[in-house]
Amino acid sequence: MIVPFNHVLALAGLLFLMGIFCVVVRRSLIMILLGVEVMLNAAAIILVGASLLWHNLDGQAIVLFVFAIAAAEVSVGLAFIVWAYRRTGSVDPENYNILK
Amino acid sequence: MIANWLNEPSLTAAILATFLPLGAFLLIMVLTRKHPRLSAGLSIAAISISLISAIFLLARHWHLDTPLEYTGRWLVSGDVAVPFGYLLDHTSLLMLSVVAVISFLVQIYSLGYMAGDAGFSRYYAFMSLFAWAMMNMTLSPTMLQLYIFWELVGLASYLLIGFWYEKFSATQAGKKAFVMTRFGDVAFFLGLLLVLVHLGNLNILEMNAPGVTARMSDTYITISALLIFGGIIGKSAQFPLLTWLPDAMEGPTPVSALLHSATMVAAGVYLFGRLFPFFSHSAGAMGIFLIIGTISMLLASTMAMVTRDIKQVWAYSTISQLGFMIMGMAAGSYYAGMFHLTTHAGFKALLFLCAGVFIHSFESNDMFDISRQGGRRLKTPTICTIIAAAALAGLPPFSGFFSKEVILGALADLNNPVWLVAGLLGAFLTAYYTFRLIFIILFPRESGTESQSDHGHQHGGYWVMGWPLIILAAVTVIMGFYRGALEAFFQGQQGIPATPVGHHAWMPFAAIASALGGVVLAWLEFGRQGADQVGFVEKIAPLNNLFAQRWYIDRFYRRFLDIFIYGVVSNLFNQNDKKVIDGGIDGLGKGTVATGRFVSILHQGMVQFRLLTIFVVLVLLGLYFFF
Repeated sequence: MIVPFNHVLALAGLLFLMGIFCVVVRRSLIMILLGVEVMLNAAAIILVGASLLWHNLDGQAIVLFVFAIAAAEVSVGLAFIVWAYRRTGSVDPENYNILK
Repeated sequence: MIANWLNEPSLTAAILATFLPLGAFLLIMVLTRKHPRLSAGLSIAAISISLISAIFLLARHWHLDTPLEYTGRWLVSGDVAVPFGYLLDHTSLLMLSVVAVISFLVQIYSLGYMAGDAGFSRYYAFMSLFAWAMMNMTLSPTMLQLYIFWELVGLASYLLIGFWYEKFSATQAGKKAFVMTRFGDVAFFLGLLLVLVHLGNLNILEMNAPGVTARMSDTYITISALLIFGGIIGKSAQFPLLTWLPDAMEGPTPVSALLHSATMVAAGVYLFGRLFPFFSHSAGAMGIFLIIGTISMLLASTMAMVTRDIKQVWAYSTISQLGFMIMGMAAGSYYAGMFHLTTHAGFKALLFLCAGVFIHSFESNDMFDISRQGGRRLKTPTICTIIAAAALAGLPPFSGFFSKEVILGALADLNNPVWLVAGLLGAFLTAYYTFRLIFIILFPRESGTESQSDHGHQHGGYWVMGWPLIILAAVTVIMGFYRGALEAFFQGQQGIPATPVGHHAWMPFAAIASALGGVVLAWLEFGRQGADQVGFVEKIAPLNNLFAQRWYIDRFYRRFLDIFIYGVVSNLFNQNDKKVIDGGIDGLGKGTVATGRFVSILHQGMVQFRLLTIFVVLVLLGLYFFF
């Protein structure tokens, strides 16, 4: 393994934090969904790195599943967003507070 | 105890004697406050039955061999059982009878003295409360029970001193009495704890048993004896806690007669007698008791020489006589102290009750004022005062002479002659200030203002007040002749080390000489024709000031209070209150509000705030679990 595992961890952590930042700060449902995807990919990077470190392919297999699930999640999420936009005329999460 | 108490006449009598006044107190407070006559009737009925029971007990157990102890369990908590009961022996039976007799007479007397007072019912309720507490205290078998009733007696005293609570000085005096005696009681309680730690219980008989030396070291006996003596100092108004007693004269005069001369203040001396065998294990402590008794006796005598207030004179003389009793006991003669306690109760109550008649009739406490208004024309009180004063001064054949002589005899047995000299000096001063008052009342100087019309009997109820005086005067006259009987009675007391009082043939003469010396000096200055009625002390201004200001003891306490207590201690506590406690509580409140504000932001229904919260919590949980 050429890249040290620590670097992999740092990259993944950075990506994850960026994902959180995106989710918490951006004022658009689409960007929030995008942040969630970034976080998901950060987790996937760690799995790949770990599987290389311990020479165990299970981690990479799981990542394949994660891709599939992520694709499904994005499609469902986007469908929700489109539907919500039609209902409210906005994709700003600040307006989704009728449960308050 | 409950099951078979009816089968034991003594126990029944003890319960009747001690608990009827409590019943009277409760009934009066709850039901009959609006009916003064009924209240007085209840109270007097209760105390009459108590008196009969007390006399019955005394007569029945006159030749008691071993102390009778009845106890039942009062409080049980785990392994600890607090007993409640009665201890009947010579000391307690005699004291019970004295208390019952004086309480009874004073309550009768109060019918006249307090007639028409707005708080008549309340007065009798407190009197009953006092009688209950005092009688239970005398019969206590354990120090804990004694301590409880000791404090209740203090409470009754506080209530009665401040009886006329609309008078500012009366409430102040009540407070002073309460706080000052409390000082002593703290020491008393610490002493009891010390005994409890070593003996495991506070049974009086066990404390008095000779075996106590094996269970407590000498040092601890001395320390606990001194601490317990602190309580005696407070209650019996000994040096340095003596200034509450003169102020306590703010209460109604019968109260002064009952509590602050005859019974309550004598409780201190009674406690000394109660624990006499315990105390006598420690020679060092006894030495200190002797010193304290002597100082109090002399200080109070000098104070009495300059005051003009008739009740104050008797108040000082009370302190001084209590000092005498403590001297007698500390000199090793239990009998001397108890004998003087008994006789003193009689004649001191008499003096106060007579003073009450004067005050009631002339509405003045000033002896010169009473004299000017014709005090001597109230025949019965004047004669009774003279009899009691002669007893107080120690003139034969009145009761005080015999008891004082026994004390002086005990003092003469000591190796150091200083104590005997102090005792004789005290006797001299006592005679002097007593007869100063008598001569002032008997020989008014400005008789011109003595008017025929405005004295005496129109206040009504005079005969009610007269009878107790006559009975007490009779007791004072004859008590001395029963000295032998009393001595034999006290021989039966268990556990008192037999210290034969040495017989000094010259002792009666020395006692009479010192007393007569005082009387003669008083006659020269106050009695004889053309005397200017100014005492030798009053001619020396600094001395007069010193005595009149009570040796500046009160001033000292005041300064101490202002500088140390208010300036330092209470200041510190105040700061602590404001900064630490108030600040802490305020901080808590503000912190809660701020947290609430912050948390409320999260509850605005914002999806992203919730997400943020979830992340923060997860991170914190992660930190918590991994590190």
